[in-house]
This record gives sequence, C-alpha cells and structure tokens, in this order.
Amino acid sequence: MKGTQLGEFEEIVLLTIARLYDDAYGVAVVEELSQRLERPISLGFVHRTMQRLEEKGLVHSRFSEPIAERGGRSKRLFTITMAGEQALREARRIRNELWEGIPKTAFDNLL
Amino acid sequence: MSQKNNTNKPSQPEPPRWAEWLLTQITAPHLRDEVLGDLYELFQKRVQRYGNTTAQLVYALEIVLLLHPRLWRKQTKSTHQYPKPTDYSQPNPMNMLSNYVKIGIRKLNRQKSYTLINVVSLSLGIACVILIFTLVRYHLSFDTFHANQNRIYRIYTEFHGEKLTYSTGVPNPMGDAFRNDYNVAQKIGRIAFLPKRVVTISPQKKFEEDIAFADADFMSIFNFPLIQGNSRSALRERNTALITERIAKKYFGEEDPIGRLLRIDDSLVVSIKGVLQNLPPNTDFRSEIYIPFGNLQNHSPWMVEKDWWFSVNKEMQCFIQLKPGVLAASVDANILPAISNKHYDKDMAKYFQFRLQPLADVHFNPKLRGYTEKKNLWTFVLIGFFLVVTACVNFINLATAQALGRSREIGVRKALGSERSALFWQFITETTLIAGLSLVIALGLAYLAIPFVNQWFDINLAINPFTDPYLLTFLLGLLVIVVFCSGAYPGLILARFQPVLALKGKLSQRSVGGFSLRRGLVVTQFAISQLLIIGTLIVTNQIRYSQQTDMGFRKDATVILPIPNNKKSTINTLAAQLSEMSGVENVTFFDTPPASEFLASTGIRFDSRPKKEDFSIGIKSADYQYVPTFKIPILAGRNLYPSDTVREYLVNEATVKALGLASLKAVIGKTATINGRPGTIVGVMKDFHFKSFRVAIEPLCLTTWGEVYNHCAVKVNMANLEPTLAGFEKAWTALYPSSIYTYRFLDEEIDRLYKLDSMLLRLIQAFAGIAIFVGCLGLYGLVSFMAAQKRKEIGVRKVLGASTSSILWLFGKEFSRLLLIAFVLAAPLAWWVMKEWLNNFVYRIELGAGIFVLAILVTFVVASLTVGFRSVKAALTNPVKTLRTE
Repeated sequence: MKGTQLGEFEEIVLLTIARLYDDAYGVAVVEELSQRLERPISLGFVHRTMQRLEEKGLVHSRFSEPIAERGGRSKRLFTITMAGEQALREARRIRNELWEGIPKTAFDNLL
Repeated sequence: MSQKNNTNKPSQPEPPRWAEWLLTQITAPHLRDEVLGDLYELFQKRVQRYGNTTAQLVYALEIVLLLHPRLWRKQTKSTHQYPKPTDYSQPNPMNMLSNYVKIGIRKLNRQKSYTLINVVSLSLGIACVILIFTLVRYHLSFDTFHANQNRIYRIYTEFHGEKLTYSTGVPNPMGDAFRNDYNVAQKIGRIAFLPKRVVTISPQKKFEEDIAFADADFMSIFNFPLIQGNSRSALRERNTALITERIAKKYFGEEDPIGRLLRIDDSLVVSIKGVLQNLPPNTDFRSEIYIPFGNLQNHSPWMVEKDWWFSVNKEMQCFIQLKPGVLAASVDANILPAISNKHYDKDMAKYFQFRLQPLADVHFNPKLRGYTEKKNLWTFVLIGFFLVVTACVNFINLATAQALGRSREIGVRKALGSERSALFWQFITETTLIAGLSLVIALGLAYLAIPFVNQWFDINLAINPFTDPYLLTFLLGLLVIVVFCSGAYPGLILARFQPVLALKGKLSQRSVGGFSLRRGLVVTQFAISQLLIIGTLIVTNQIRYSQQTDMGFRKDATVILPIPNNKKSTINTLAAQLSEMSGVENVTFFDTPPASEFLASTGIRFDSRPKKEDFSIGIKSADYQYVPTFKIPILAGRNLYPSDTVREYLVNEATVKALGLASLKAVIGKTATINGRPGTIVGVMKDFHFKSFRVAIEPLCLTTWGEVYNHCAVKVNMANLEPTLAGFEKAWTALYPSSIYTYRFLDEEIDRLYKLDSMLLRLIQAFAGIAIFVGCLGLYGLVSFMAAQKRKEIGVRKVLGASTSSILWLFGKEFSRLLLIAFVLAAPLAWWVMKEWLNNFVYRIELGAGIFVLAILVTFVVASLTVGFRSVKAALTNPVKTLRTE
C-alpha cells in the first residue's frame, strides 16, 4: 500500500511522538528534535511530517482545551497508534538485521 | 475566535499582525488553530531567548518555510473529523489561485494560436528590452566605480577661433601650473596616452600596446587596484611600470612579472614594479601599461617641451580631484581663466580657454571624443518602450476580442458568487502565466542574442539574472508592469459582465468595450512600426550616401602602412623597394590620409596682410606623390615639387574663399605663413571631404614636411593582391625589424568614420523588423477573430450575391483606414526626429517624400499580406457551411 513506507525523518518524528507520550504536539516535537539533532528545524517541516504520519494512520490526534500561552488556541496532541508502533518495530528490526549482517572486519582498515 | 483573545493581553509582545493575518488567510481552516498556536508559542519562547526583533524575523521566516500545498489543502477524507468547526464559506486565496492557474493553463492549452501569438510577441518584445537594458546600463556605468567620482574632473581646452573647437588635451605645463598656483585640488594626475607602441620583451616577443605615462596621483584618483606591488611607491620611481594582470599573463605566462624588463619602442627600458587588477570593461581608460610621467621626456620629448603653452595634444590630458566643497563652476569661472591670462598674451588668452569636464561626461560627450551621446541611449530606451507597448497592445486586443468567448465561464462564476475583484485577479493570474512564460523565453532569446550584440559593439556583456541583482529587479518590475498594462483592461471588461446576459449568451461585441479602443491601439502599433521604418530608411540612405558619394579623392585599392621611423634614407629605400614591385602604381608618404577623424589645424598669415587671418587652416603633410596617388584634382597652378622641408603649399578652394579672393589664380605665387613656416602657394586643389560628412569642408593646406610623415599609402592593383601584400610585409619588416607589421585599406578606414552610425543602423533595423513582426502577429490575431465573428455575416452576404472582392474589402477598408490615420500621426513625428538626426551631418540626403511613400507602402504591403491571408480564407468559405447551423 502506498505510504506505509517510513521515511527517515518520519521515523525520527514518530519516535519523538512516542517518547513525548502525552505531550506530543508541534512545538514540543520541534524543540525536542532541534535539541537532539543539534540543528534548527522548521515548524513547517515537522508539521507536514506529522500530517503525513496521520494520513498513514501511524498517529492519532486530538485537540486540547484552548490555552492562554498560545494566544487562546488549542494544541493538537498526537499519540502513536498500534500501526505506528508496528512500523517503528519493523524499521528497528530491519536496522538490527542489517547491523548484525555487517562482518566484523568491515570497519577495519577504513580510510 | 483566536484573534479576540489576543487583544486581551496587550502587555506581552505579539507576533507580527500582518503575518498572523496572512496565515489565517491561506491556512486551511482545520489547521488554523494548531499552526497559529504553535507559532505563537514558539514566538513567545524566542522573545525570551533572543529578543523581540529576532523573534519577529524568525516568525516571518517560519511562515515562508510553512508554505506548502498541505497548508491550504482541504481536509482529506482519510483523516477523521475533528470537533473543530471547519469553515469553508470564505474561499482560501491559495486554493483559488491554484484553481485560476489550472483554468488558465487549460485555456491557454485550448487556444493555442492565441497563446502562441501572445507569447511570441511578448517574448520578442521583452528580449529586446532586456538587451537594451543591459546595453544602456553598461554605458551608464562607465567610470562610476571610482571613489569620489563626482569630484573628479578632466581639464579640457576650448579654442575660441572663428569657430569654437575643443580638445581633450591641455598644454603640458597645465598640471604643474594648477598644482603650484592654486589650492583647490586634492590630487592632480597628468596622463599622456600613446596608442600603439611597440613593447619588446625579447627579440622574438614583440607586442603592439597602448601605453600611458601618468603621474603617481593618477592611480590614487582612479580606482585601479594593484594586486602585486606597493601602491605607495607605484609610478614614483623612474623607469618603472605597472601592467595589468592580462598583460602579465600575455607576456610572461605564469612566471612572476615583477622585476622583468620591457622595452618601449626603441627609446625606453622599464622594469615592472606592480601588477594592476584587470581593467573592468566599463572604463574608458584602456591603456594597460603605465609608466611614470617623468619618463615621457625620454620617450617623446616633443610632448613635454618645457613651458610650451602653445601646443595642445589631445592625448596629453590632466585629471584632477577637487577638494570636498570646491565647486567646479567656480574653478571654471575664476581659476582657469586666470591661468589663461597668466600664461598667454591678451589675444591668445581669449583663444585658449580651459574648462572642467566632469568624469561622468567623459563617456558621453562626442565633442570631447566621448564614445556616444546619451541621446542615442535614450533613443534605444524609447525603442524598447515601443516594443513592449506593441506587444502589450497585441495582448489587450486579443484578450478583449476573446473576452466574448468566455462569457459563459464568467456567468457561471458570477452566479456562484464570484466577486468582480476575484474575476479581475483571475484574469491577472492568466496574464501572469503568459507574461512569465514569455519572460523566461525572452531571457533565453536575449542570452542567445548577446554574443551578436557583443560582436557588433565590440564589447563583452553577459546576461545572468541569478548573479545580477539589478537585472533581476528590472525583470520583476518589467513583469509587473507588463502584466498590469496588458491584463488590467481586459480584466476589468471581463469582471463587468452582467451574469444573466453572459449566461444567456446575449453579450454583444459592444459590451466587451469599445471597438474604438482597439482601433486606437492598432493605430498606435502601426504608427510605431512606421516611425521605425522611416527611421531605418533614412539612416540607411544617409550611410549609403556617405559611403558611396565621391569624397573628392580616390579611395579604392589603397593600402596604408605605418612608418615607425621616418629617417629620410629609410623612407627612400622603402619607397624604392615598394615601387619596384609588380602591381604597385603609386607610393606616397604623409602624416594623415585624405580623410581622417582628427586633423591638426593652425593659424595662417597670407601674403603681405598685416594680421593673422581669423580662420584656422587644417594642415596635412605629404610628399609630392600624394596628389597623384589619391587623384586629387588640381584646379589651378601645379602640384608640389619634391622636397623634405616646408617650401610650397597647396590649398583647397575653401581656403581661397575664406581669404576672400575672387579667383583661384589670385593665390598662386603668393607667400603664406602657416604654423609659423613661410612657403609659396603653388596650386589650388579641388575641395575634398577630409573629415566625415558630418562637418563642412574647411580651409586645408598640403605641404611637404618630411619630419612628421608616419604613414605610407600604396595604390595597388587589386587583381593580384596576395603576393603584393606579402612583398610589402617582407620589405617593411626588413627595414623595421623592431616593429610590428600592420596594414589597412583606405576605404575601410573611411568606413570607420561612420562606425557608430552603422552599429546604430543595424540595431534599429533589427528592432524595426521585430516591431513590424510583432505588430503583424497582433493584426493576424485580430483579423482571425474578426473573421470568426463575421462568419455568418459573410455567409449571408455571399448568399445575397456579394463578390469575394467586396468581402475582402470589408476587412480591407477597416485596416486601410487605421493605417492611414497611423501614417498621419507617425510621418510628422518621424520627419522631425530624423531632421534632428540629419542635422548632425553637413552633407546629407534630402528628406524627400519618397521615403515616406516607401514607408507607407511597406507597411501597407505587410499589413495587407497579413490581413489578406486570413480574410481570403474567410471570403472563400462556402456559405452553406457557415449558415447550415441556423
């Protein structure tokens, strides 16, 4: 099915959403990511990724109550779905397998 | 809803209002809260971290990064419904825009000929404008990169004789006098330009180069940075030189040029002390080797005779940089006349006057050897404007004509609640599509054409909007102007349609706006084409006249060789060797060919008259072979006898007239003192054009004076040219081993007097061609449309017995009338403009009716071909086909 493939940035965002558990919304994800990746991330980029994740059914979103610190606007809070968890585990499995397949000598004698 | 809450807390810094508004407009409703909220929160955090200003900037940046179709796309079905209201009653402008673009592209795709005509005419017009812009900006940028350039002036000389003449040069002591006696200039840089000197590095490596002798101050007045060497000591030490990077590479390749020796002609050896950055293309200073001014004495002592105020050489120039606050006008009014008064007696002080010329004027003053007049640049700007107007007119005409065809669409849109402004913007979007496409094509065309323009003008321009912010700004500005000029009127017409009428298909041609406007526009187009055609014809005729009219001497098959050294024995050897060769008819030695741009002129005292004549006389020095070589007719008396010193004079008819004598014979045998040297007038030459046709034939004399001969002309037999030229080279090189052999033909040399005019002509021809072509495209489109509109009318007429020709006349009479009106407008304007241009020439063609008749004929033929092609098709259609559907 089109769109079940998890892109690299999508994977990172999905992981962050899972990690932030109950407080995963735009700003929180942006802050967490900029801190971890040590480079500025634009809101637009994160935002679009989260939209895509939702379209793929990997996350679920709900609105919070309006909050004064946000100029009276509500947050859109994301939580990971079962499909999301499965996609993450699948991605991790592939990576692990790839890592395990690397012969020990491959990293010797590198330039 | 969110906006209301915002206003409750005025104490906190708020994100930029306009940005929030913009976002609200373009964001899909189900995302609005989230996006604005997130940005608001981030903004507050950034205010605390980086301060208000930075946070505002980052906010704007974030919006740019947010732009993506996802931002305004409607909620997809796959995502579930939110409890938030999803309000689509206000159309999202971004959505509408994509709809407009989609409809626009479909429309353009469906009406290919309409699109093609518009795109072709707009892109041709814009391509020309891009070229013109590049060219004009290049010329306006000349020598504008010097620091304090508005305080830099050149001192020039005015000779107040019977006629006012000018020289770019000054007497050589001028610089010192100015420096020692007055305290108004910060820096004074004398410079002597010596074109075409031979620079020798080794016996095998010789180059011909323009060199300059300059004061050290010259380099600090002008911004020609050194990339190697010390700028403080540059040009201060004798026998040193600065060369440009290009020359360094040409002479020494990759080797270090510093300390290398150059021999200039045979008189001077200098060592290289510095390397200048390559000269930018937009400077009039073209010398690439600079030597201290003090060395000029070793090279050309005659140029720097001490305190010699009576000779002005155009290449001996003086640039000054005034102190801040000193007005050029006051220097002109007080100091320079005082210098004249101090160094000349009363009469001569009136004759020699000096003035300041601003640096910005140097490139544009033809009296002082400037490259071109600003007037010519503005002519091009005007032509560019005309071309864009022609293209926009096409667009307006076609678009309003087409408007009727889209009445249904407009009706539906209006019925569904589209506002006038929305319809207007829709049309503007479509126009932008066409104009944007044309702009891209135009850039491509201009890019392809620039090598040819460079070749014509002998310059090196490039077109790259990505590295050239001015060009980019200009293009964007042009796009906006073109879009609004051509889109606004049809847009208004469309937006004005009554929905009911539009849906019923009851709109008539009248409701899409006056046909009179379209007529007016066509008249404008015709007028522009005719103006350009008349201009082209007149310039062509004048240039042909200059090239073909008898100049009064023979100019064909004559080879001119330079004479680097005019020692008598060398010249005689050369003459003997050359005349022995087969195919050589005459050999003569002289200082200037019969026609040249510049000629020394001087005073004359005739016979026993007590005072100097108050006209000046041009002087050419040449041996006795000059007259027979160039076949200059002698009207009275005889040719000069062979001699090497000034003994005899030949004068022209104009001299006799200026002396006030009735008969030519009256001067023969009389003495005349010209340039301080007495001699006998032995003959009178028929007047010949010794300068270009721009100036009248003035008094001229010819005398033998071996010291100044620097050229040799050989009349050859064209039948067997190659071996003759090879023979010249061999003989010449044997005699002048340290010089570089070059030769030119006299007629080419004379054509060069009209070089700028020829370039102008070629450009105007190209532009006129494009204007006519663009105009025809529009005309064709319009006629096609008329034919489609009148299909039924033509059918009915044919059924009722109209002939093909009478139907053709239906189209023809309309356009003939417009063409005539255009002619009535264009002819007087063209007559006036071209009269002004022809006034530059003393010897010129007459502005006869013939040219105007030809112009209208040309337009008429072109227009009737365009109109005829389409209308014949319409007239020949079988009426059954057009009427069957009724």
